[in-house]
Amino acid sequence: MPWDPPVPAATERDPAFAVNATVEVSDASVWFGPKVALSDLSCSFGPGVTGLLGPNGAGKTTLMRAINGLIDLNQGHVSIQGRDPRRDRGVHGRMALVPEDEAVPAALSARQFVRYIADLHSVADRDAPDAALTTVGLLDVADRRVEGFSKGMRQRTKVAAALVCDPTVLVLDEPLNGADPVQRVALIALFKQLGAQGRTVIVSSHVLHEVERLAERVIVLIHGRLAAAGGHRAIRDAMDDRPRHVLVRSDDDRRLAASLVGLDSVAGVTIDRARDGLVIQTLQARELATALPRLARHASIRLLEVRALDDSLESLFRELVR
Amino acid sequence: MTVPAATVTTRPRSRFGALLRYTLRSCLPPKRWIAVLLPCAGALLFGLLAHAIDDTAAAAFANVAAEGIFGLVMPLVALIVGDAVLGAEVRAGTFHYTWLSPAPVWQIVAARWVGGSIVALASIAPAAALAAVVAGSSGSAGPAFVAAAVGSVSYVAIFIAIGCLTKRTAVWSLAFVFLVERLLGAALTGIAQLSPTWESRAIFVGLLDEAPARLERDGIPSGTGAIVRLFVVTLVALAVANWRMAHMRLSGASD
Repeated sequence: MPWDPPVPAATERDPAFAVNATVEVSDASVWFGPKVALSDLSCSFGPGVTGLLGPNGAGKTTLMRAINGLIDLNQGHVSIQGRDPRRDRGVHGRMALVPEDEAVPAALSARQFVRYIADLHSVADRDAPDAALTTVGLLDVADRRVEGFSKGMRQRTKVAAALVCDPTVLVLDEPLNGADPVQRVALIALFKQLGAQGRTVIVSSHVLHEVERLAERVIVLIHGRLAAAGGHRAIRDAMDDRPRHVLVRSDDDRRLAASLVGLDSVAGVTIDRARDGLVIQTLQARELATALPRLARHASIRLLEVRALDDSLESLFRELVR
Repeated sequence: MTVPAATVTTRPRSRFGALLRYTLRSCLPPKRWIAVLLPCAGALLFGLLAHAIDDTAAAAFANVAAEGIFGLVMPLVALIVGDAVLGAEVRAGTFHYTWLSPAPVWQIVAARWVGGSIVALASIAPAAALAAVVAGSSGSAGPAFVAAAVGSVSYVAIFIAIGCLTKRTAVWSLAFVFLVERLLGAALTGIAQLSPTWESRAIFVGLLDEAPARLERDGIPSGTGAIVRLFVVTLVALAVANWRMAHMRLSGASD
């Protein structure tokens, strides 16, 4: 009787690996001289938008370049739909990269640049470059040289160049850099739409709330290693459960400090004269956020300022890898 | 922003044509042309300089051209062009837009070389011929044109190969011209046989009706033999560029 290997339940699946993966990274290590950029990283990406999150120097750009075949791995391998992007040039017909670098061919107009990329990918539709420029809202400046563009416009030109070849796998390295708030919203909507169409969209960022808005799944890197993976709620929960320091300024700090000591969510309170307020240590930031205003209202204390002192992504990453 | 629906399709445009247009338009913008044309003006000055030499016009120009045009101006122009068509783009971090396409590597290399060669042929080759006319030796114009054309085309291929091998294309290309060709090539015939400077000089001398004896160098082919030699050097350089470009590590402008 043939033996059927046990199939892990959906809840047991390693969150670093996607269902129906199109991009697979196995035991990937990359180093530049003594600097290790990626260390034994294994994960995969499938249809939909996946956020690649990490502080500066975490290895996000190196991973994206390795996925596109721009750099060789020192160890491990990357495959795109089973093909090696480093050795099989045909795979580049199905994928596109929007690099973080501002560099674009300065002497060309936006239309010439996008048309060049379309021609390299043998795009038969002659209207495709203009359609891609329309998508990113640059058609009216399509004949202007890219060197005169702002950072945000350059980013959008690169996005248009990526879209023109109708990629199955789209890799976007910090694509929202330099975009104004309106463009940011439009680009996020565009990336979500591309993901909903079944394309594999990988977006890197070092801004957690930005990734939350566009990605269903998040992979967190730090020091070239996988720090966390899964839905953004899991990442956010990890953030909420770590110890925090919150600065509170009120019209009566001493009385507020005495009242806070009784709260379960408060691990400690110190009066910080330099900051002219109280520093509360808490392991339950959510509970504290609910309890603090209620307590102040009951005690008739006016809160002047409430601010997290260590609410940066870097501090979350430190906690995740501890 | 919405993803547009596909519209009417036609036959895709030629990849090689796109690569060639890009090379001429993006890699060689007007500023590069100025940088190319300045040394070409220097070639004309060498033509004027020939008048100061107490010899026949043909002999005076041959002496000036051998050292000044084929030994200095032609490598310099080819270096500017060769660096522009690849090295400068790799340094700027824009080459990956081309590399990350399904275009075969040989097409990329060939288009860069053809584009660079067109610029070299339109600049240094006519400048060399014009210098002969300026020097009062119209009969040397043809040999000067052919020698500069073959030499610069060969140089562009070598500088593209260097651009694929190293990020500091300009520095290594200068080292190749002045250390390998000028220094070692002057002493070792084996190196001179593979040098565009020495071989283009040999083409020029070989095609002249009456060449000064001091310009003829034993041990290296001249005339059409030198043309064939440079053709082989060019092919080898392009093959190296093709092999190396396929394995390039493009880590971006910031690295």
